Amino acid sequence: MSGKLVRLMLTMVMLSSLLMACGKKQPAEVKVDMPAVLRVWITWGDDPTQIQELFNRFGEANNVKVEVNSPVEADKVIAALSGTEPPDILVLGGPDDVSTWVNEGLVAPLDELAATHGIDLGDIYPAMLAQGKYKGKLYALPWGSDTYGLYWNKDLFEEAGLDPEKPPKTMEEMLEYADKLTKVEADGTITQLGFVPDFSWSHIEQYVKLYGSYWFNDDGTKVQLDTPEMIAALKWEQQFYTKYGIEEVLRFVSSTGEYSSPEHGFMAGKIAMMVDGEWMTGDNFIGGLAPDLWYGVGPIPYPASKPERKGTNVVGGTVALIPSGVKNKDAAAKLLAWMMSPEILAEEMVANFNLPSSKEAAKDPRFRANEKFAVFMDLASSPNATFHIFTPISADLLTELDLIEQQVLHEGADPAPLLKAAQDKLQPMLDKALGQ
Amino acid sequence: MTLTETLVKPKRRRWSPATRRNFIKGMLFISPWILGFLFFTLYPMASSLYISFTEHHIRTASEWIGLENYLNLLHDRRFWTSLYNTVYMVVIAVPLELLCAFVFAVLLNLKLRGQSVYRLIYYLPSIVPLVASSMLWMWILNTNNGILNVLLGYFGIKGPSWLTDPTWAKPALIIMGLWGIGNTIVIYLSGIQDVPTSLLEAAELDGASWIQRLWYVTIPMVSSITLFNLIMGVIGMFQYFTQAYIFAAAQSGRANNVLGSPLDSTLFYSVYLYDRFSNLKMGYAAAMAWILFAIILVCTLLLLRFSERWTYYEGGER
Amino acid sequence: MTNIARTMERALGRKRYVWQRALFKVLGHIVVFGVGLFFLVPALWMFFTAFKSSKDVFRFPPTLLPYDNQYVTINGKAYPLYNVPVNGEMRQLAALKIAEGQGTFVNPNDPTEVIETRARYAEPIFTIKFQWRNFSDAINRGVRPGLKVNFWTYLKNSLIVAFFTIIGTLLSCVPAAYGFSRIQWPGRELVFMLVLSTMMLPYQVTMIPLYLLFTETLKWGNSLLPIIVPSFFANAFDIFLLRQFFRTIPEDLVDAARVDGASELHILLKLIIPLSTPILAAITVFTFLWAWNDFLGPLLYLNNPEKFTLAIGLQDFQGQRNTEWNQLMAAAVVFTVPIIIAYFFAQRTFIEGIKLTGTKG
Repeated sequence: MSGKLVRLMLTMVMLSSLLMACGKKQPAEVKVDMPAVLRVWITWGDDPTQIQELFNRFGEANNVKVEVNSPVEADKVIAALSGTEPPDILVLGGPDDVSTWVNEGLVAPLDELAATHGIDLGDIYPAMLAQGKYKGKLYALPWGSDTYGLYWNKDLFEEAGLDPEKPPKTMEEMLEYADKLTKVEADGTITQLGFVPDFSWSHIEQYVKLYGSYWFNDDGTKVQLDTPEMIAALKWEQQFYTKYGIEEVLRFVSSTGEYSSPEHGFMAGKIAMMVDGEWMTGDNFIGGLAPDLWYGVGPIPYPASKPERKGTNVVGGTVALIPSGVKNKDAAAKLLAWMMSPEILAEEMVANFNLPSSKEAAKDPRFRANEKFAVFMDLASSPNATFHIFTPISADLLTELDLIEQQVLHEGADPAPLLKAAQDKLQPMLDKALGQ
Repeated sequence: MTLTETLVKPKRRRWSPATRRNFIKGMLFISPWILGFLFFTLYPMASSLYISFTEHHIRTASEWIGLENYLNLLHDRRFWTSLYNTVYMVVIAVPLELLCAFVFAVLLNLKLRGQSVYRLIYYLPSIVPLVASSMLWMWILNTNNGILNVLLGYFGIKGPSWLTDPTWAKPALIIMGLWGIGNTIVIYLSGIQDVPTSLLEAAELDGASWIQRLWYVTIPMVSSITLFNLIMGVIGMFQYFTQAYIFAAAQSGRANNVLGSPLDSTLFYSVYLYDRFSNLKMGYAAAMAWILFAIILVCTLLLLRFSERWTYYEGGER
Repeated sequence: MTNIARTMERALGRKRYVWQRALFKVLGHIVVFGVGLFFLVPALWMFFTAFKSSKDVFRFPPTLLPYDNQYVTINGKAYPLYNVPVNGEMRQLAALKIAEGQGTFVNPNDPTEVIETRARYAEPIFTIKFQWRNFSDAINRGVRPGLKVNFWTYLKNSLIVAFFTIIGTLLSCVPAAYGFSRIQWPGRELVFMLVLSTMMLPYQVTMIPLYLLFTETLKWGNSLLPIIVPSFFANAFDIFLLRQFFRTIPEDLVDAARVDGASELHILLKLIIPLSTPILAAITVFTFLWAWNDFLGPLLYLNNPEKFTLAIGLQDFQGQRNTEWNQLMAAAVVFTVPIIIAYFFAQRTFIEGIKLTGTKG
């Protein structure tokens, strides 16, 4: 070959490798045939206008109409997934059902699509990414995450003689503090409660992780309900009820208002401490509904015997997936990649007061604007941040667990035999499901 | 011709031309129903019966497992709980609603001032959409702030936690149900008004008191209404779903919407079936559906059988 | 007995009877009124909640009338009024900003006087205020922007469904009922038993396969067809009612017409139907009510918000984390008002219709 040709070829090689290197930073522009309409279904959503406007940006840039359906009922989702016209992208409030659906072949694997359309998986926080993995493959991507922390009412702390800037550090301290913050009348009626472990809903996953365990083992092959940690966690929770009379506690809690209202137990100053998610700090909740509340946030207390569990929290949250029945998966994947891009992700998370799942997006200063929200940002990126493990029987296990917890807390039952019975029932189910 | 006569009568060997003509005419007139029955009822029924014998998968082939779904049902604690809850409602709520509807209709028939206003008031709640009324009652039943317990408080009674106490959740739903019986009240009202005055006058002349007239004349005269509403009520109550579903959904945003809370006390049959369906256990759900059908069939036939003695039909026979 | 004694006894007896009657009437009034309260009070609360602001919905102690913050205008902007304790005395101040437990207040008469205090001690001042905007909010809500959809779309769809359902029902049930009552054909009673037995079939049995039939096989997903078309194939309930009614039409009339050589169709159209206007009116009314309120069908088959009916639209207010009670009630009021109006105008037909469906045999 002549020298000129060699030089030309070398230049071409250099140029193309240069281009490829540049392409790594930006999503590779894969040529995709866009359909007329892309449909996005979201199972939650209190502000359809804001979400639709967000998606319209993609629509305009790519000459396609994006129809956002939010909120969508759960049974519609299943019906659609089973049919021939599922939505192109499905955004769920949590990944609980994904493993069941993957088992039924309803979800498209994302590893390849993510690579083709340039979704940077390394940019996603490991704990958040792990939720969408099943049997080692990726099926769902986190679109905004949640984590939980301790909220406490500083006014009530002050009244009870506690230092408002010093929340309880250990679970044992929680019991003491709760006792000081609980007010009971002569006839047993409660007028103020220190802490209710399953208010507004159960956080057993946080407590059991704080004790150092979880109800599945790491590779999702064993059910671990009948463990000392589970028993300890439930027994710890139980004390908050039995101390003041289960009936009275239930009465008091049920008289508090709706979750998203100023009469919410914590917002109205009726319950002094609670475990809840990062969105609570936002304008849709405490920020907007109870601006007069003087409160603090911090990590959930750990058991005194396990100081290494300090700052443990379980990260969960919204996930997006592509149903397997979608015909034009590339178009859907392109939309998904756009959703995952740091700017768009940051935009949506700021609007919703959710945690960004992308490290790049997390750099957006808006996330640190609210100092309380920032606490959750730190929690989610701390080394002790963990995640849920899902298996095909997750739904069944969670139902059993919920019933057990209700029996333990609301009926004073002994957790050990209940946990054992559930484990004996669920392990064979898991074995069978995995054997498929 | 009564049903028994139809069944017992020996079949004719050959049809006369007139009979054949009538048969064709009859079939033509009911053809829309027949078509609908075949496509929208019979075919889906066969299909779901088949599904109930399989472990139904959506994308992959379903596997035939015979009676396994049904056997698993028998060992499922939640299945029995849901059945108990539903039977509870059927046995308590249906007769109670009928009784109240009748009593209220009697009240509305009294010669008092303002009855037309009262009639509107009693009827109105029954046309409020179910979603709205269910949520309305969730507020009313709130433990400390709901007006029901506030009112009870004025009488010195400490009202229970209607929505969160397993013992009181079903009674709460029953109270909620009573609010919407306006429809039945009006039906009974017109039935009562249709009782021939001649009969009532005759009874009065014979020295019957108001209560005796009610018991011996009015109630029997409206017995066909009672039977019809009893049967429809039982059939409907076995499928009780909406209110319980809204109940669960409205309880302070739980991350997992556990139907049937508190402690499965509101886990009704249809609710559990829906739960299985949502968890993609289609075969199981289909099996539950067929068992429900069987139960309803048996109950209806029993009701019809035992009602013959106390029901009176105008014109003699059905 | 003497005449006088007898007269006295009769007079006393009647008086006791009259007295008894009066007591009875008073008791009746009390009971009817009491029961009436049970029905009325929740409805009233529902009505007034439609006018409340979100914060006011769960006020404790509960009030019937809607309350909201009282506002004062300073320099063209409105600020809520609070009772704030300052140096031992309560003063009415306007709140400039309340956040994180701290409140910044201002004297409405002298805006330069600024007072900061812990928000905990400040009490807002309320006054009665009707939030009419709940209605417009409710009507504009459930809008899926990006699609031209709003309350009027839902209303239109509900009306379409109701209209065609009524037509389909009448067209299919009337001939069927006639076939089951006025034509003698072998096996008639047996088939009718079959019809009745379908009333006992719970919807769950056919739900899944029906869904697949409509969406996969027929590809009718996302349209109003799965909801409307089945009504053209008759339903057991209306067939039963119509048959009951037709049986009250004297056999002789029908026979006479037959003898005159009239075809069955002719008899149905010219003889039976004109005599059946009350039951037809009743069925129209009830089918309308049923279609208006039906939500399981729309829930299952309608995914496109452009096709939603009002019934599903109402579901919209049941948010995932909270419920916009006031808007929900406003929507419910709007939803129910047409029926109430219809009730007033068609009171007699309404009652007649309900009376006829009471199945007196």
